[in-house]
Amino acid sequence: MNSMNKIIDYLKETYEIKSVKSPMDMQFHFETEKKLVHSILGDLKSKGFKQLSLITAVDWIEENEFQLTYILFNWDNGIHAILNTRLDRDNPKFTTILPIFPGAEYYERDVHEFFGIEFKGNEKSFKPLFLEMWDELPPLRKDFDPQAFSDKTFPKMEYTTQFLTDVGGVNNEGS
Amino acid sequence: MVLNDKDMRSAWEKVENYFQGSSIWMKWYCTGCGAIELPPTLTSRFDMERLGMGPMATPRQADILLITGYLSFKTLRRVIYSYEQMQEPKYIVAFGSCTVNGGIYYDSYSVMNRLDFYLPVDLYIAGCMPRPEAILNGFKELKSMIKAGKAEGYKKYKENYEWYRKNQIHSLKEVYVKDEFHE
Amino acid sequence: MREVKLFLGPQHPGMHGNYSVHMYVDGDIIKKARPMPGMLHRGFEKLMERRTWMGNLALIPRICVPEPDTNEMVYAMGIEALADIEVPERAHWIRMIILELARITSHIMSFGGIGGPTGLYTATYLGIALRDEILDVFERITGARVYHMYIVPGGVRKDLPENAEEDIERLMKIIEERLEELKELILENPMIHARIKDNIMLPAEVVWELGVTGIGMRTAVNKVNDLRKVKPYARYDQVEFDVPVASYSDGFTRVKTKYLEIHQSIRIIRQVFKKMPKEGSVRAQISTGNALKWKVPAGQVYTAVESTRGEYGYFIVSDGKKMPYRIAVRGASFPQGLLGIEKYLVGHRIDDASLWMDTMGVCSPEIDR
Repeated sequence: MNSMNKIIDYLKETYEIKSVKSPMDMQFHFETEKKLVHSILGDLKSKGFKQLSLITAVDWIEENEFQLTYILFNWDNGIHAILNTRLDRDNPKFTTILPIFPGAEYYERDVHEFFGIEFKGNEKSFKPLFLEMWDELPPLRKDFDPQAFSDKTFPKMEYTTQFLTDVGGVNNEGS
Repeated sequence: MVLNDKDMRSAWEKVENYFQGSSIWMKWYCTGCGAIELPPTLTSRFDMERLGMGPMATPRQADILLITGYLSFKTLRRVIYSYEQMQEPKYIVAFGSCTVNGGIYYDSYSVMNRLDFYLPVDLYIAGCMPRPEAILNGFKELKSMIKAGKAEGYKKYKENYEWYRKNQIHSLKEVYVKDEFHE
Repeated sequence: MREVKLFLGPQHPGMHGNYSVHMYVDGDIIKKARPMPGMLHRGFEKLMERRTWMGNLALIPRICVPEPDTNEMVYAMGIEALADIEVPERAHWIRMIILELARITSHIMSFGGIGGPTGLYTATYLGIALRDEILDVFERITGARVYHMYIVPGGVRKDLPENAEEDIERLMKIIEERLEELKELILENPMIHARIKDNIMLPAEVVWELGVTGIGMRTAVNKVNDLRKVKPYARYDQVEFDVPVASYSDGFTRVKTKYLEIHQSIRIIRQVFKKMPKEGSVRAQISTGNALKWKVPAGQVYTAVESTRGEYGYFIVSDGKKMPYRIAVRGASFPQGLLGIEKYLVGHRIDDASLWMDTMGVCSPEIDR
């Protein structure tokens, strides 16, 4: 806890981070602006947070924003650092972090394919990876309805019910 | 007495079905999550080889295709492609409830709902996923179906080819994909 | 010479699961390799938003097929952190038994599974037969062979049966006996030495560049980088066990590390039975009414456990309603299955491609979700 408080204080002084929370032990979440993300990530990497665990996104459709999340881990003291930033939902663009963490290439392709966020500088992220020949909305957005798409593309089994009229004395109409 | 062509062919088919039912080679393709119960069925505890079935590496020399579970977009294209590469007579056995009506992924945008529309199925085995004892029971049933001449899925595919093709194109838009990496 | 395009396709006897690698080869050497995931894609992250919090328990074991219990553990840990639920003491110890048995199952399947790429099918047959004994014990405790749905938010679903301790002790003796035979067949075999010794190396800089965790990291960096020691969960800090490390990571060291980890798991299970409380409740009550209409308070949390392939985590976002708002899955073999194949398989031979997938631990359903 001591080392976690030291890192949080250092980040609060040097950059302006807001809404720091800690829902579980050895973990802290904070939010920052778009232009400070690269410098904070480089700074944390030099302090021992050398592993990039995950890049993901959340679609807040009511506030008309995307939240982009970076999760870093430090193996020396076991602390997870989780960084959030907000992007505009109508024109989501961001710059890649490939120069800092080379392993981010496939995570950014994943986020681009499922949410439509563009990463400038990562040319391979415009090619499809998990889906093939997909020309609808990006699937993980909140305004995409999977049940309607599934009923339209893949027809289902039709069940007919036929009631036996003489069993147990019950008299029903068949259909 | 001279046997005409039709009698000879039906007598020959009976002999062929008898031998075919005792030696079935299974194509080695784990398509979905039901394939985790296939190695226990194949190895020494629930021995599948005493029923005359064994694994085979290539589709050109295999007799039976096991669809173990759900099929997504990409896998369905490749399964159709390799089903058409197999030589006749060939059979399909579908495992699990995902092939009947979508199963637990009924509202997913990427999983097909009903296998019957795309490929002809000879036998369904129920469960999620079926135990090795249930699989052996199903294979015993398949053997007696083959020996009696009732497993005619491949003939149905040839006769109704346009209907199957229409369904495949409606769901998948294109079956043979050429340029997967856009390079 | 021109390059030939080859598919180490989805249908191949040496391939684990439904995954495909496209290679451009010149003679026998790979010049360019591209992974092709997506054959097992079901859209789990979208499906989990459309079912209630308790209804999701039937869906999540199917994300990782060889080792489904880590999914349930991470989900339960996340909900307990957001909703502030206290898990009873006996439930923590029972969870450790289930997680370690699942680890032994998955390690045996991949230790014996080296028979597929190398042609030593006897090892595969022996490994699968040994794994079946463990699945019998799972059936007596939880009711199902493969997908258990036993670890729930608040504890475990039911207490252990009455003679569980003798049953599991008998199982440990069977595993120790038969594992010796399997070890002599694989680790002291000159054929296997010729294939994987000093081959398929993983240098230490590559580990930090890709983000590889698990056995690949511990055998290259020479440190105890295991989540059970660095960030312990569920009473792992009260049992004693070693974590094997090395500083030279070739294929042989990684296969041998799996054998050593099975012995450490057996040691943990024996200590758990001595230390756990004999009586007590195993499940905390989470709601006063209908469990299907239960709401989790709003917040975001990330939980992670150590699975056989590395760090496995869920990022859970809740907005205070009946269904989750967003759950993101961090598959443990994402780095080595995608970027590892593209960058580090160049220069090896064709038959090393499927050995990379086996020794590094690439499990395809958790990459595709």
